[in-house]
Amino acid sequence: MNIAGQPVSPAPLKTALGAGASHTGVHYWWLQRLTAIALIPLSLWFLFFASALVGIDYAGVLALIANPIHALLLICLTICLYWHGAIGLQVITEDYIHSRPLEMMLKVGIRLGAAVGCLACVMAILSVWLGATLHG
Amino acid sequence: MAQFKLPRTSRIKTGHHYPASPQARSVRRFKIYRWNPDVDSNPHLDTFDVDISGCNMVLDVLLKVKDEIDSTFALRRSCREGVCGSCAMNINGENGLACITELSRLKPGDVSIYPLPHMPVVKDLVVDMTHFYAQYASVEPWLQTTSMPGNGERLQSPEDRAKLDGLYECILCACCTTSCPSWWWNGDRFLGPAALLQAYRWLADSRDEATGKRLDGLNDAFKLYRCHAILNGTNVCPKGLNPAKAIAEIKGMILRRSL
Amino acid sequence: MPVHRRLSPHLGIYRWRVNMLQSTLHRLTGLFLCAGVLLVSWGAIAAAYGKPAWDDYVGFCTNPIGILLMIGWSWSLLFHLCNGVQHLVHDAARNYGPPVRDLMSMPVYWATGWFVVVVSALATLLLWAVLGLRMAGR
Repeated sequence: MNIAGQPVSPAPLKTALGAGASHTGVHYWWLQRLTAIALIPLSLWFLFFASALVGIDYAGVLALIANPIHALLLICLTICLYWHGAIGLQVITEDYIHSRPLEMMLKVGIRLGAAVGCLACVMAILSVWLGATLHG
Repeated sequence: MAQFKLPRTSRIKTGHHYPASPQARSVRRFKIYRWNPDVDSNPHLDTFDVDISGCNMVLDVLLKVKDEIDSTFALRRSCREGVCGSCAMNINGENGLACITELSRLKPGDVSIYPLPHMPVVKDLVVDMTHFYAQYASVEPWLQTTSMPGNGERLQSPEDRAKLDGLYECILCACCTTSCPSWWWNGDRFLGPAALLQAYRWLADSRDEATGKRLDGLNDAFKLYRCHAILNGTNVCPKGLNPAKAIAEIKGMILRRSL
Repeated sequence: MPVHRRLSPHLGIYRWRVNMLQSTLHRLTGLFLCAGVLLVSWGAIAAAYGKPAWDDYVGFCTNPIGILLMIGWSWSLLFHLCNGVQHLVHDAARNYGPPVRDLMSMPVYWATGWFVVVVSALATLLLWAVLGLRMAGR
């Protein structure tokens, strides 16, 4: 490596070619765009939904979440948020973390964390909805 | 971590001040990056108060500095009309060609001159372009075919030829690539705007038969998808070209064949 | 090749235009919104857990620091949303102006860039004005 972080090599073309293309770039790029497009209406709806929660009591909150349309939209929102966020964090990791082992550990950690967080949130929404449906 | 700060030995110290001669009629202050590889010291910023009467372009002033004030000052220049790309440098914080950057269009006040950003410095404003050129070579910038030409020539309709406008004019000055933060942090693996614009120049060519192979070679999180459309490269292209749009077109081509 | 070459200055000397500001803000708001996702999840889990947990959550959201964070999150969301739309337009290879730009003119996307910054700020103000009026009305 020279001072610019660019490899000094007697074979510059070999350095530029590297190990070739991984053929996986488009996958995450497209998922990021798809979730982004889905999040445009979902997040705008969420701003109205969250505003409706302001100042109401606990029973009212449960009733709002238990509305099947609201519960469905909340679950869609949760999945898209976690997915989009995880891809975003992965891109940031790839941009700035240049230690290969740390980069891989972070990427695995981000995916596991997002999966657990997403499932926990979906379970919570489902339990409010099912609770109201079964007991109410 | 990506290195956001300069390495210790690359940090810029204040340098010498060269005052204007008393007879100077129209003086403008130029702060110019200097580094001499024969002296093991940090780079420094020299201040030249230059009589700019008779100078139209930034390059005129730099050559005046070299001719009349400090002949050890090193810079690349050749055509002095914006077609060779040799005098690409950072002028007042933005990359451009010194030979077509008019003094009258710069914001008033001191003018700062640095080499192209995030490059290994050979001397003063001269940087090592080896890796940049190798990245250009890596996209195989030539017509590739397997079929035989029908009657001695590979014909192209005027409409298909028009698709290359805004692509073929690139002069490889590296203004765009060295303005790109993604290339600063990941230039070892990200091909950068100039090489990708040239990759698209061949993808857009109606006669080229290597489209699939070219797209295969670019479908990579680093080679192509490090571009986050910051648009710094498109801002500064001295030929008015648009590498960000070319990159968006490549991403579109890869997407369309995989959906 | 000598290994003692110096690295030319980059971030420290580069001139910021609105596109670089947008890109940096997009990244920072995206990071901040990741924390916001955790807050939304906390809310859903608290609601499922019972009234005391929900009251704790509301307590966090409505104390002065919580309100400040909420304003930050709402602006982050609106900026990331507006800027994201511009990103999608650019992904579709639109809004770049003519194929070869006349260097005497400014890039067209600088205007849309400032539009994104201003609209996201105005939308945040509007949101909190409406919320403030509603809270005062109760």
